[in-house]
Amino acid sequence: MELFHNLALGFSTASSLANLFFCLIGVLLGTLIGVLPGIGATATIAMLLPITFQLEPVSSLIMLAGIYYGAQYGGSTTAILINMPGESSSAVTAIDGYQMARKGRAGAALAIAALGSFFAGTVSTFLVAVFAPPLTKIALEFGAAEYFSLMVVGLVSSIALASGSIVKALAMVVLGLLLGLVGTDIYSGAPRFTLGIREYADGLNFVAVAVGVFGIAEILRNLEGEKNRTVLITKVTGLLPTRDDFRKMFAPVVRGTIIGSALGILPGGGAILAAFASYTVEKRVSKTPQEFGHGAIAGVAGPESANNAGAQTSFIPLLTLGIPANPVMALMVGAMIIQGIVPGPNVATEQPALFWGIIASMWIGNLMLVVLNLPLIGLWVKLLTIPYYVLFPIIMAFCSIGVYSVNSNVYDLYAVAFFGFLGYALVKLRCEPAPLLLGFVLGPLLEENLRRAMILSRGDPSTFVTRPISATLLAIALVVLVVVLLPSIRAKREEVFQDEE
Amino acid sequence: MKFFKALACATAVAAVALSSTVASAAGYPERSITMIVPFSAGGPTDTVSRLVAEAMSKDLGQQIIIENVGGAGGTLGAGRVANAEPDGYTVLLHHIGMATSATLYRKLAYDTLKSFEYVGLVTDVPMTIVARKDMEAKDLKGLIDYAKTHKDTVTVANAGIGAASHLCGMLFMSAIQTALVTVPYKGTGPAMTDLLGGQVDIMCDQTTNTTKQIQGGTIKAYAVTSPKRLDVLKDVPTAVEAGLAGFEVGIWHGIYAPKGTPAAVTERLSKALKVALKDPNVAARFAELGTAPSPEADATPAALKAKLESEIARWKPVIQSAGQYAD
Amino acid sequence: MKSITIDKTNALCGAIFVLFGIFFALQSLDLTIGTAFRMGPGYFPLVLAGVLILLGVIIIVQAFRSLHEGVGPIAWRGLLFILPSAIFFGMTVRGLGFVPALFATAFIASFASSRMTPLMAALLSAGLTVFSVAVFSYGLGLPFRSFGPWLGF
Repeated sequence: MELFHNLALGFSTASSLANLFFCLIGVLLGTLIGVLPGIGATATIAMLLPITFQLEPVSSLIMLAGIYYGAQYGGSTTAILINMPGESSSAVTAIDGYQMARKGRAGAALAIAALGSFFAGTVSTFLVAVFAPPLTKIALEFGAAEYFSLMVVGLVSSIALASGSIVKALAMVVLGLLLGLVGTDIYSGAPRFTLGIREYADGLNFVAVAVGVFGIAEILRNLEGEKNRTVLITKVTGLLPTRDDFRKMFAPVVRGTIIGSALGILPGGGAILAAFASYTVEKRVSKTPQEFGHGAIAGVAGPESANNAGAQTSFIPLLTLGIPANPVMALMVGAMIIQGIVPGPNVATEQPALFWGIIASMWIGNLMLVVLNLPLIGLWVKLLTIPYYVLFPIIMAFCSIGVYSVNSNVYDLYAVAFFGFLGYALVKLRCEPAPLLLGFVLGPLLEENLRRAMILSRGDPSTFVTRPISATLLAIALVVLVVVLLPSIRAKREEVFQDEE
Repeated sequence: MKFFKALACATAVAAVALSSTVASAAGYPERSITMIVPFSAGGPTDTVSRLVAEAMSKDLGQQIIIENVGGAGGTLGAGRVANAEPDGYTVLLHHIGMATSATLYRKLAYDTLKSFEYVGLVTDVPMTIVARKDMEAKDLKGLIDYAKTHKDTVTVANAGIGAASHLCGMLFMSAIQTALVTVPYKGTGPAMTDLLGGQVDIMCDQTTNTTKQIQGGTIKAYAVTSPKRLDVLKDVPTAVEAGLAGFEVGIWHGIYAPKGTPAAVTERLSKALKVALKDPNVAARFAELGTAPSPEADATPAALKAKLESEIARWKPVIQSAGQYAD
Repeated sequence: MKSITIDKTNALCGAIFVLFGIFFALQSLDLTIGTAFRMGPGYFPLVLAGVLILLGVIIIVQAFRSLHEGVGPIAWRGLLFILPSAIFFGMTVRGLGFVPALFATAFIASFASSRMTPLMAALLSAGLTVFSVAVFSYGLGLPFRSFGPWLGF
């Protein structure tokens, strides 16, 4: 009963005319800025944050949350249309979404992403409302050892991201891990691999790396054969998903929602893994794994749902503990403080209207996104018919602005150029960029938690197997490893036998 | 007076020989001012800056735009301002890190004492010594005894090198003359999470981050590091009361301008700062964060200069004996 | 029947990984390595660099028994104009200011395509600059200076 009372309070707060308006503005602005190439949720929020400071606390947080979902959705749109992810999560969407777009199915890919996100958003909002406090307790059980083991699961799963050579994919992951370590070592303060450039002391900018290895590399690839082709895709078939598509997306959306909701709760970077983990699972359970990397519907539906579910449940640590789970949440904390609300464990009891209002607005925001974006799909797809030689200077300009706006650091732009070159070289050498990006986000987390776990256990490595959650996760990693490697070993043997004949 | 103005202008001209813009203090400010905050948007320093900047804009009649130039413990943003035109249109709001980075970083792109002019102190955020909520010790004395007897297992969390919690942790260990196990995190969020989950034992951090958790009973507070008890945490004794003589530390914030900025301009900014610090909204927000605006006498160039110099001298031996550098 | 062919693409790919591995390994050696129990900043990267070198070597070895497949055409013109456009933006956005830097970035990038004419590039870049200034400087109020100190503003 209390839940209904609370939800009623939340909905009455969130559906006041002013709050609906700010939610709409947030979602709209977020989508519009997020859809600009190379600009993801973090960059969008960094740009739009000052606007929200002028508003009432509840309105400003509702608007910020709207910007967050909107930007994430917009980021996925660009990832699908032009292979230009602005966030780690949309990097996964780009793998199959962009291939669908190239086959003329951009409309279907966008619709699948929108509907999958909405479903995930609805379910996970409900989860946040009902289970926030008990889930928080579980999240607090996660210490360094648990996070390390979780990252190991992520790492092992990454092998499934590869659609080509497994050894190459592994090498890309390891290279990504190393690139992720660039910057100041937090334990000793020693700068690592920065080549003496202090601008890289806080590490390489994710947006710069992602835009480089995905976006710029793709532009260069499209410029290779430009004599023969003027537009990115020639024909667009069906803006909306077919009945068959719906059938194919249902199970992945449900699985993605579960995976995303579970990982999003963990404040130490669980949400980062959501999209990657969902992709791995889908590829593994699929009857047609060979479709992955070439426009598989499940490869868009699963990760997009996981990502959105994770985005919702990552509010749980913020709302119940007052602890930001990611940079976007940190910005929300800043916004709350400016408004005179210092987030902490008592927000739910001290500010029930704010707490439940935000939760209700999450769902309203997601609803608005779907309503807004389904009609927009036609427009986005039209963008693809713009001649490519007009499109890419625009992409370059927005990328430059987006990358620069995050930290006003010009060295991030030099990194874009370098990673564009590296990304192109690696693509030409038949290496896929997604594993590199996963390694890049996992690298610092993996090392940080490994070293922290060793410090906390006084140098006793058995901490990873004596702590039950950590041990379970490591067991999962082992199972995944076996499951992932078995088919490829079998395939190898078949190959070998064929060679012998 | 006129002579000084002319002298100040001459200095400015000399400093920006290549630049065509010369600040004349008479009509200052004629356009919007950029305030560089050397940390990312949304953090405590950014919050302080935005609150003060808004109130200062009202007095100056021109907007103050916040630009976040994060990175390398605030030294990138400070370096940017050190090299900016000294016309009063680029200023810096930095915290205690201005003084500690002089020692933490053995090579800086600027000279902490020679590259800036001073506007004034903004606020001095107190710190709190806190521990996981099931910590056995009843008071600070008990906590220190516990730490001393279990020095190989007691862990002290901090939010990374140069962070407020790192500085306070170092000072705490040097005050109790016991080296505990330091566990660094990337930022306050993850460090606080582990403290809440009981994964680490002790932390010393700004009230900005700890007040709500203490009030909510999710962590245990042992002392505040201010000279007087805080209104928001009336039951928590000061460190001195609790028996740690001389243990007073705060995260002070100051506003700086590039070297060569005319004195008339820094005085004008200082006047605006004084007005801003009396703004009831600023005072109210600061109070919620467990801090207070600096007294009027401290919102002056001379006070900030004295503070910076004394703090550099204070932290140098602490950092050097810990032997940790950030470069 | 097996013939010994070298897949140059994979060999080059492996070599790149080995080189990266060597770079990171050498850099790691300058750092404190520490022990498995008390890892220094160099420990984890050194291990990873070793793994990367190993994987690179495996790729090279495998290249000796697989079929050759060319790398296809290379977008030299694209490399020549696209990459410098981002660098140019970085070098000039503070000095020249947002407006000229952005115009030049779009203008330089335009020439990566052989289909682009100078007039078309100028029009496109101008339109893009106007749009961006409207959206980012006025609409969102980002703290970009439209014209920088190098131009005497």
